[in-house]
Amino acid sequence: MPVWLRDCRWRQSASAVYLSLPVPGVRVTPSNIFCTDQYLKVSVPPFLFEVFLYAPIDDINSTAKIGNGLIFFTLYKKEEAMWDSLSLASDNKEKLQCLRQDAVLKAHEKAKAETEAKKVTKQKHKRYALEATMKLEEAERKRIEELKEKERQKVTKELELWKKQQKDAEKQNRVQQELLPQEVEQLKEKKKEKMNKTRISNEGTSKTRLQPTKGCHGSSSMFSENLKEEQLPAPRSAATIKINFTSRVFPTPLRESRVAEEEEWLHKQAEARRTVSADMAELEDLKEEERNPDWLKDKGNKMFAMGNYLAAVNAYTLAMRLNNKLPLLYLNRAACHLKLRNFHKAIEDSSKALELLTPPVPDNESARVKAYVRRGTAFCQLELYTEGLQDYEAALRIDPENKTIQTDAEKIRHVIQGSMQDS
Amino acid sequence: SGAAGLERPQLVLHTQQALNYTLFDCKWVPRSARLLCLGSAARGTGVLQLYELRGARLALLREIEKPKPIKCGTFGATSLQQRYLATGDFGGNLNIWNLEAPEIPVYSVKGHKEIINSIDGVGGLGIGEGAPEIVTGSRDGTVKVWDPRQKDTPVANMEPIQGESKRDCWTVAFGNAYNQEERVVCAGYDNGDIKLFDLKTMSLRWETSIKNGVCSVEFDRKDIGMNKLVATSLEGKFHVFDMRIQHPTKGFASVSEKVQKSTIWQVRHLPQNRDIFMTSGGAGSLHLWKYEYPAQRSKKDSEGAEMGVAGSVSHLQNVTLSTQPICSFDWSPDKKGLCVCGAFDQTVRVLIVTKLNKV
Repeated sequence: MPVWLRDCRWRQSASAVYLSLPVPGVRVTPSNIFCTDQYLKVSVPPFLFEVFLYAPIDDINSTAKIGNGLIFFTLYKKEEAMWDSLSLASDNKEKLQCLRQDAVLKAHEKAKAETEAKKVTKQKHKRYALEATMKLEEAERKRIEELKEKERQKVTKELELWKKQQKDAEKQNRVQQELLPQEVEQLKEKKKEKMNKTRISNEGTSKTRLQPTKGCHGSSSMFSENLKEEQLPAPRSAATIKINFTSRVFPTPLRESRVAEEEEWLHKQAEARRTVSADMAELEDLKEEERNPDWLKDKGNKMFAMGNYLAAVNAYTLAMRLNNKLPLLYLNRAACHLKLRNFHKAIEDSSKALELLTPPVPDNESARVKAYVRRGTAFCQLELYTEGLQDYEAALRIDPENKTIQTDAEKIRHVIQGSMQDS
Repeated sequence: SGAAGLERPQLVLHTQQALNYTLFDCKWVPRSARLLCLGSAARGTGVLQLYELRGARLALLREIEKPKPIKCGTFGATSLQQRYLATGDFGGNLNIWNLEAPEIPVYSVKGHKEIINSIDGVGGLGIGEGAPEIVTGSRDGTVKVWDPRQKDTPVANMEPIQGESKRDCWTVAFGNAYNQEERVVCAGYDNGDIKLFDLKTMSLRWETSIKNGVCSVEFDRKDIGMNKLVATSLEGKFHVFDMRIQHPTKGFASVSEKVQKSTIWQVRHLPQNRDIFMTSGGAGSLHLWKYEYPAQRSKKDSEGAEMGVAGSVSHLQNVTLSTQPICSFDWSPDKKGLCVCGAFDQTVRVLIVTKLNKV
C-alpha cells in the first residue's frame, strides 16, 4: 500500500499555482512525475501523491523543481482566475477513476503526437540533407566537366595552330623545291669558284694549310639529303638465317594446349607403369622375363601375327594380372577375341580399353580409334548394327580422313536401312 | 579522386569516323595532319583511305581500292620528300605506293606464301642511318627483310629449318639501327617465341618464349642502340625487356605486367619520350604506361657475369573506347600527344593525350 503524501503547501497568483511537496528520504526523478492538464501525480515508491486540479493548466510549460527532499511545482493556469482550492472537490471514486484514465489517455495521445511530429521533422531534415549533397555533387561534376572542356578546347586550338604551321612549312618547302634546280646550279658554280680561289691562294701560301671543303659546309640542309643518298650503303648481300621453334612435349602454344588433360594422361600412364599386381603367390612360378608386362605384350603381339590367337590371349591375360592398367593390353586382346569370334569378350575388352584411354588427348588418338572400330565390328557381327554404327561414327569423329572406316560405316548404314525396309 | 586524377594525362577523344570496311591498320602521314586507314572491304578487296584532320572532324581526301585486302603498312623506310607507303596484304604481297599516283606500285614483290601479318621500316624519314629496309612477318613462318633498291629477292630471310613445323609470325620490329652497319630485327610468333636476329652478323642473337602468342613487339627507338623492347601477348600480359645488357645464359632482364584478361593487340612508344608507351587491348581499351628505370641497370651474378636489371612499369591512364578490340594504334610523330587508333567496330578514332609534359 502506497503512502499518500498529503502535506503539500500551495499558493497561487492570477496566472500560476505554486505547489511545494516534501518527499522525504527518496530520490525523485522526472519519470516519477506524471502531469496532464488537469491531473498531477507523483509516484515515488512507497510514496504516492495525486491531485485533480481545480482548473486546467498549461502542462507543457509548467515546471517542477526537484531538490532537497522537496518538489516545487510551478503550474501555469490556462485561464487567469483565482482558484477556490487546489483540487476538485469530489468524493465520487468512479469519477476520480474516470478522470485518472482520461488523464492517462491524454498523456498517451500527447506522446503519440510528439513522436509523429518528430518523424515528420526528421524526414524533412533528411530530404534537405539529400538535396544539399546532390547540389554539391552536381557542382563538383560540372566543375570537372568544365575543366575537361577547357582542356579540349586548348588542345584543339594548339592542333589548329600546328596544322597552320605544317601548311606554311609545306608551302615553303614547295617554293624552295621549285628554286632548287636553279639554286643547285648557282651553288655548284659558286663551289667551283671557291675551290679555284682557294687552290690559287694555297699555291701562293704555305703548303701546310689544310683544304677544307668550304663549299659543302655552306650548303643548306636540303642538299645534305642529296649527299646522304649518295652515301647510302649498298643493299645487304642476301643471306638466310635458319630457325627452329620452342619444342614442347606436346607442341602447341599455351592457348591451344589442353595442359590439364595432357598432364593427367601422362600421369596416368606413369602410374600404370608402376602398378604391380598384388597377386604374387601364383606368379612366383614365372620366369623373370615373364613378369614384365611389356615383354608379355610383345610376346602376345608376335603370337597374334603368327595366327596363334589363343596363345596371344594367354599372354595378354598374364600381363594383365601383373598390371591391369595398361589400355593397350585390353585393346590387343580385343583384337584376338575378334579373330576367335568371341564377340562378347571383344566388346568387353574394347570397352575396358576405352575406359583406360581417358582423358582423350591427341597422344592416345590412334588407340581410341582402334578400340571403337574393334568394338563396332564385334557389335555388327552380333547383328547389333545400331550400336556398331555408333562406334564407327565415334571413330570417324576422331579420324575423319580414314577411308576404310568411312566405307565400313556406309556399309553398316545400308544394312540398317535394308533391314528396316524388310521389317 | 577528382583533383588528383586530373593531374594525370587524360586521353581525350577528339573525333571519330565510322567506316564501311574492316580496318586493320592506321598510320599518320609524316609531317602532316593526314592519316591513312588500311583495311578490307566487304567484297574482299583492299582499301586505302586518306583522311585529313580538319578542326573537329576527319575529311576524306582519297580512297584507293586494291585487289587484295591490306593488313599492315609503314612509312618507316621512305624519305620525307617521297613519303611512299609500304603495305603488306592478305596475299603475301609487299607493295610500295606513291600516294600521289597509286595506280601502279613503285615496288612490288610476292614476298610470302601467306598473309603478311606485320611490317616495319627503318632508315627513312630522316631518322637514323643506313640503308632503307622493310621487314615483313608472315603466317608462313618466315621473316624477310627487303631493300627497295633490290627487286624480287629479300636481303635477309629468317625461315624455319626444313621439315620443322612452322609457326605463324605475328609481329616484327626493327631496332639497334644506330649506325650504317648495325641493325636487328625482332620477331614474335604465335606460340610465344620471340627471336632477335642480328642483320650485321646474319645470326640469331637471342630467343625466348613467353608462353602466350606474341601480338606485338616494338623497340622504344629504332635508331639508337637497343634500349628497351616491349612484347605484348594474349591473355593480357606484356613484357618489357631491358636490352642493354645480354647475359650469356639468362638473356635480357624483363618485367611483366598483366592488364586484363583480354589480348593486348598493339604497343606503341611515344616518339617524343621513349619511356612512355600505349597498349591497346582486346576489350576496346587503351592504357598509357610509363617505364621507370631501376637505380642500377646492371648487376653481377654469382659467376661475375653482368646481367641487366629490369625496372618497373607504372600505369598512367586508361580509357575504354569501344566494345571491339583496338587492333591498331599510331602516335603522330609531329604533334606530341596526338594519336589515332582503329578498332574492329569499323571506327577510326583520333585522340589527344594531355599533360604528357608533366609526366
